[in-house]
Amino acid sequence: MSEESDLSRRKFLEKATMGIGGALTVLFGIPAAIFVVKPVLKKEEGSGWMRLGSISKVTPGTPTLFSLKVERETGWITDQDEIMVYVYTEDGRDYAVMSNICTHLACRVRWIEERQEFFCPCHNGVYDKQGNVLAGPPPRPLDRYEFKVENEDIYIKVG
Amino acid sequence: MATRFSNWLDARTGWRNIWDGIFLRKVPKVNWLYTLGSASLFIVVNQVVTGILLTIYYVPTPDHAYDSVQYITTQVALGWLIRGLHHWGASAMVVVVFLHMLRVIFLGSYKFPREVTWFSGVVLFLVVIGFGFTGYLLPWDEKAYWATTVGTQIAGTPPLIGDLALRILRGGEGLTAMTLARFFGIHIWVLPAILLGLVGLHVYLVIKHGISTTPKRGENNHE
Repeated sequence: MSEESDLSRRKFLEKATMGIGGALTVLFGIPAAIFVVKPVLKKEEGSGWMRLGSISKVTPGTPTLFSLKVERETGWITDQDEIMVYVYTEDGRDYAVMSNICTHLACRVRWIEERQEFFCPCHNGVYDKQGNVLAGPPPRPLDRYEFKVENEDIYIKVG
Repeated sequence: MATRFSNWLDARTGWRNIWDGIFLRKVPKVNWLYTLGSASLFIVVNQVVTGILLTIYYVPTPDHAYDSVQYITTQVALGWLIRGLHHWGASAMVVVVFLHMLRVIFLGSYKFPREVTWFSGVVLFLVVIGFGFTGYLLPWDEKAYWATTVGTQIAGTPPLIGDLALRILRGGEGLTAMTLARFFGIHIWVLPAILLGLVGLHVYLVIKHGISTTPKRGENNHE
């Protein structure tokens, strides 16, 4: 066997090792990425219209807290999630139905009666009765739910 | 660019020496049975990769283990593939490692100066059996539960130490959440740590000594 063919044999084996190694890496890597990422892309199904409670509980001038239990499928577990909603009205005709999730980084806000403000304890976000930002880092007002009033009951759309 | 980078890296790490030491060894003319060790190593990689992936969804508690395994198999994208690779890889591992050991015995590769390679291989074989034993319980189905009941019961049979051995294995008297949790811990932390250390030693020794030649007819050790 000449020097030259010896060298090409070596080159061939080197290329083959690299090629097979690379192919195996891809063969494992792609399914691994799909396995890890694809399940998280699944959209959560909304529950649609859900009854929040009687509209008569809302005191005009004060945000009133309602809570709602929602069933959520997470993986192999069916979980009960509690949604907290503030309903505010000034005149009993126009309502603001607000999420209690702070728009800054999703901590929960609460209504402080003495100060007449919503307050988020995580980073001192402050909102007024209507959910407008008064102070602190929140980038936008509290999120509103789509809602409807039927037979003196208030319903929200849970998506 | 690539050459410059590899030179830069070599000046600081000396990786080329290591690379050449691993891949440019002289290899005697041997047969395909000598690839069983590399095959075992490949299955180790398969088990490590798929095993790590499975822990992303698997939960080792009695109320979630079975459901999470079902979820992996039927709901997660390619979950059937990842679990299947781990499941069949486990069986293949025992078979291939056993054949590897037979090859080493029949062709006399365990002899001087490769005794330590052989000893580490024997421990590695026991570690593989340990992997099989602890992994078998994790799906938490009927087969897993009763197989582990029987297996741990056997550990309880020797006089004097039997009862203690059984309790240590089960984490108590019965087969419970404690058993599942400790089998999981052993399966994903204790055994992999031992396995990787010993594989490192084993492969280092193979590279250091080079692989053995096949015995020749008519040769004997007294010459």
